[in-house]
Order: sequence, then C-alpha cells, then structure tokens
Amino acid sequence: MIQIQNVNHTFLIGKKGKEKKVPVLKELSFEVEKGEIVAIVGKSGSGKSTLLHTIAGFMSPEQGSIIVNGQETVHLNETERAKFRLNNFGFIFQNFQLMPGLTAFENIELPLKLKGIAHKKRKTSVQLLLKKVGLEDVADHYPNELSGGQQQRVSIARALITNPPILFADEPTGSLDSETEQDILLLIQDLNQTMGVTFVIITHDEEVANIAHRKFRMRDGVLVKGDANNVI
Amino acid sequence: MLFKDQVDFVSQHIKKNKLRVFMTVLAATMGCAFLIVLASIGFGIQDTMRKEILEDQAITEVEVYTNNGEALDISQIRTVEHVNAIVHRTSMDIMAVSQLGERSLEGNMLLTNFAEEEKSNLQLSEGRMPTKENEIVVGYQFAENLLTDAERKEMEQSTEEDAEPIGGYKESLIGKTISMSMQSYEMDEAFPEKWDFTIVGVTEKPARDWFVDTNMLVDESWKDKFQEVYEANTGNENPDLFYSSTKIYTSSLEHVKSVTEELKEMGYSVYSVSEQLEQLDVFFMAFKIGLIFVGTIAVLIASIGIFNTMTMAVTERTREIGVMKAIGASPKLIQRLFLMESAWIGIIGTVLAVIISYAVSFLANWILPMVVGAALGEDEFQDLSMTFSLIPWQLVVIASVISISVAMISGWRPARKATKIDVIQALRQEL
Repeated sequence: MIQIQNVNHTFLIGKKGKEKKVPVLKELSFEVEKGEIVAIVGKSGSGKSTLLHTIAGFMSPEQGSIIVNGQETVHLNETERAKFRLNNFGFIFQNFQLMPGLTAFENIELPLKLKGIAHKKRKTSVQLLLKKVGLEDVADHYPNELSGGQQQRVSIARALITNPPILFADEPTGSLDSETEQDILLLIQDLNQTMGVTFVIITHDEEVANIAHRKFRMRDGVLVKGDANNVI
Repeated sequence: MLFKDQVDFVSQHIKKNKLRVFMTVLAATMGCAFLIVLASIGFGIQDTMRKEILEDQAITEVEVYTNNGEALDISQIRTVEHVNAIVHRTSMDIMAVSQLGERSLEGNMLLTNFAEEEKSNLQLSEGRMPTKENEIVVGYQFAENLLTDAERKEMEQSTEEDAEPIGGYKESLIGKTISMSMQSYEMDEAFPEKWDFTIVGVTEKPARDWFVDTNMLVDESWKDKFQEVYEANTGNENPDLFYSSTKIYTSSLEHVKSVTEELKEMGYSVYSVSEQLEQLDVFFMAFKIGLIFVGTIAVLIASIGIFNTMTMAVTERTREIGVMKAIGASPKLIQRLFLMESAWIGIIGTVLAVIISYAVSFLANWILPMVVGAALGEDEFQDLSMTFSLIPWQLVVIASVISISVAMISGWRPARKATKIDVIQALRQEL
C-alpha cells in the first residue's frame, strides 16, 4: 500500500547565509501493508512528524521515492497532491484541527464538499458516520461546544467520510485524558477491523503504539529495531 | 467543490466579519458612486448641449451650396440614398407689405415648393399646406405683428425692452385674405400692383424664443411675375433680386451623416447638424474620459481598503486554509474562494453605488436648477430643461467594469498569498 524507499531530507536551520544543515530523515525504507495499523514511535525531534508530512505530501523529500497505491507521489505538483490526498488519505491531528465556524456536521461534510458531492448524498453519508462515531446528538454543535473526545471523534469522522484507504493519525490522543484516549483507540481498532482502513499512527505514547500491528521506532532520522513483536 | 457550496463558504465568512466587510463595501460604494456622479456631469452637459443644438434647427436638415455659385444638380442629389426632400427656398431682396383691413406688416417673402416642404415635414401650428397658387403659409408671429398705424406708433415710443407686444391681430388668420404688395428698400412707396393671398396655414412656434417668424411662404410659380413687376417699377433689368438656399431633409437623423458625406464627395459645400454634433462629441469624449480617470482614482483609493480587508482575512484564516489544503483543497480553489470574496465586495459596492448615483443625479437635476436660478435671480432659469447629471447605461457598465475589476485585482494578491500558505506551518498555529 505504501512503499518508502531511501528517503532522505535535510532542514536548513539558522540565519540566512549562515544556515546549518540538519539531516532529519536518513535513508528511510519501509512498507505498509493494506489493512494494517502501523505505529511510528519516537521522541520529539526524532523526525517522525517530518516522515508523516513527506508521506502525506505536505512536503517533498530531497531524495527517495514514496509510492502510495502504486502511484509515485514525490514528483506531483501541489494541485495533483491535493487531489491525491482528497482521494487517498484521511488525517487525524493531535489538536483536532476542526473549523471553528462550522458545526460538527459541517466539519465532517467538508471533504465531501471539496469532492463536489451533492448536498443530499452528503447528508446521508454524514448521518451514517455520525452514528458510527456516536455523535448523532451533537451534530449541530460547534467545536468549542464539544469535549476533547467528541472533537477527536468529529476529526476521525471527517477523515473517514470520503472512505480513504489510508488514514494518518498524528498523536491522535495527545490532547486527551487517559479514559477518552482508550475510547479513541478502541474506535480506531474497530474502524480498522470493520472497514479495513489502513492506519499510520505517529506517536510518542507506547500505549497508543500498542494497538498497532507493527511498530517502527525512529531515532535521529533513522528507523531502529522496535519491540520483540514488531517487524522492522 | 460545487459553485453553490463555494458561495455558501464565502457568505459564511462574510457574515463572520460583518462590520469589517461593511466598511470595505462602504468604501467601494463611495469610490464607485463618486466615479459615476462625476462622469455623469460630463454626460449631462453634453446632453444639454446636444439638445440646444438640435432645438436650434431641424435635425434632419442638411444645407447644401455649390462652391462656384452654379446651380445645384437637383436630379443628382435626388439619387443620394435617404434624401427625403429637397427644399429650394428663394428669398427676395424686397419687402413684402401685407395688408389685412387696417392692419399691415412689412415682412419677408419666401418662394418655395409646397410639395417638397410637406415632404420635409414642415410643421404647422394650425391650418394646412397650400394646394392652390394663391394660398400661402405665414410665420407664427405674423398675426401679432400685423399692426395698425396707431399701434405701430405706440410701439415705437415704448422704451421698455421687455414690453409686451402691443396689439396685433388676435383672431385666427386661417381663411383670411391679405393683400400683398412689394416695396423696394430704396423707395418710400410700395409698388402699385397688389395680389390677394389666402392664408391657409401658420407655421409652428420657432424653437428659439428670440426668433420672430413673420415670413410669408408663397408658391415658387410666382417668381417670374414678381420679377416682371420689380423690373417694371424700378427699370432695373436682370436685378440680383433673388437668392436661394437649398436644404435637404433626410428620412431620419441617423442618415444625416451618410448624406452629408455623400454630398461632400459630390463636391458640394455641406453643413448639417451632424457636423456640429461630431465636434461636440469629440470634445466631450475627451472630457468624459478625463472625468472617468479622476473618478477611477477614488475607486483605487477604495481598493486599498479591499486589499487590507482581504489580507487580514487571509492572515486570520491561515490555520483554516492549512486544514483545507491538508484534507485536499487545491490551491486554485483556495484562490477562487478569496477572489469571490473580493468580487462580492466589488459587486455589492457597485450595485449600491449605481443606486446612490441615480438618486444623487435625480436630486441634482431637481435641486440645482432651483439653486442656480435663485442665485442668479432668474425665474426663467428654473424652466430651462437643463441636465446637470445624466447616467446612461454605458456609464453604469464602464463604472461597474472598473470597480469590480479593481476590487478583484486588489483581492488577487491576498488570494495568491492564501494559496502559498504552508500546510505544516499553518497546522502548527495556535488555536
């Protein structure tokens, strides 16, 4: 499903003219299979977020190849990447990244609007998904009227609404208490099993990483061996 | 994204920042209204002057002369397309003394062809066109200038300039028979020959208030008879008694220009209203362009407001734009949404400006003549149909195009900025 081959990336840090080169991704190569949950674990600054950003197409790596669903994404232009993301990816962010001016319903509906789906069809899809993530009663609420857990559920529903084959989760429980965290993790596992969605989870939390079928550990831009049950 | 959804999206954002958008629309409205009202003065004055010119003379009239004093080739002129009538009027260098009972009038006599006059659309205030040789048409002021000797004396003594006309013939002249004799300017007495003419028509009131029409229009068949009498009384053979002018009437105003040009090509000297209007139009075209240019500066100042508003909108929504891009909104869509917002400001501003401009124009045309009249102390000024401000649809189109284009251009840079927002940076922004 996702093939990463020899990906390298360097950041330039410091004043203009006196920039320092800091390598963040070094010769990364790994694969993600369809239907699995993969966790990329690492401390802050290990390069795990940069890795997610390159796979998601928010930025291009200096070197290497990223193939998603058989399509090389590194050389796509911005418009093509946006279209590719709309059709193949869903995103769950640590701080939910909901639109403050839109209700839960409208937030979930947004990707369908971007796809140009008609209102009637959108309504049915959103209502079904609201039921699935347990948010039917708060459909008309704005993000600031929802709890952290509810906001993350809206965010998950928004990521799922277009039925993308791959879902990226960047610290999905980072802003939640431990009880809510469990709910969200159970929901991710449920969606993986019932809908066959592939999850790539970026986290520094071992508990979150434990729901993954495979774990990759990152340190200073390289993948190192993980736990006994993980394959690297 | 469907167009309806794009509109919803834009209107949602506008609603969120009502006051700011309102102030920007207000600035755009003021700029555009200033442009329209300013240019409308040019259109208004031009319209007034055009009317003045057109009132001065028959609008379908083309005066034609030969360059070398030769006679006109009427049959050649007739071949020109859209020539409706050729009126060949001959004046006489002699006074025509008309007598009706005790009353008399020393006026001019014009020899003409009534069939052509009718085709040229000669308007009568009463009566009909002559059909017989001894039937004539007289000028509008003919009756009021038919004075008795006593009246004439009284009038000569009157010193007041604006004095009301004294006496004059009060009844309708239609059907009345006048006795006409000719009198040379060099002689004190009229020639003994007298002719009786029946008045069957009176011409329309001249367009200009100061013009007094006391002419007699007589059929051209009388020309030889008059000449004979003149020669017999003065002993002057082959006198320079007659001089004529030829006026061509086109079927409508739009053909005046083409007829004028064709006659010029034939080698005639031509004068028509189209010549005068053309010069006027060239001057006013330059004048109006100048006014529109000055007005556009106001629109440009307003556009600074639009630029600021849109830049603020983009800065405020950086995170939202980042999220939209992350979940798959293309840069083109982001750009379009922001351009639609600035276009919306431009369109609403323009619509309001057009409404306001029409109101201002209406008020100006209503109040200004009164104010100017009062200031000059002339009551008549109020009655003048003077247009101070005129907004034709062309001006509305020009102003709308300028205003909406300027609004979109000023929104273009912020919109481009929005497309350049880095997703990663935007997502890192604090909520």
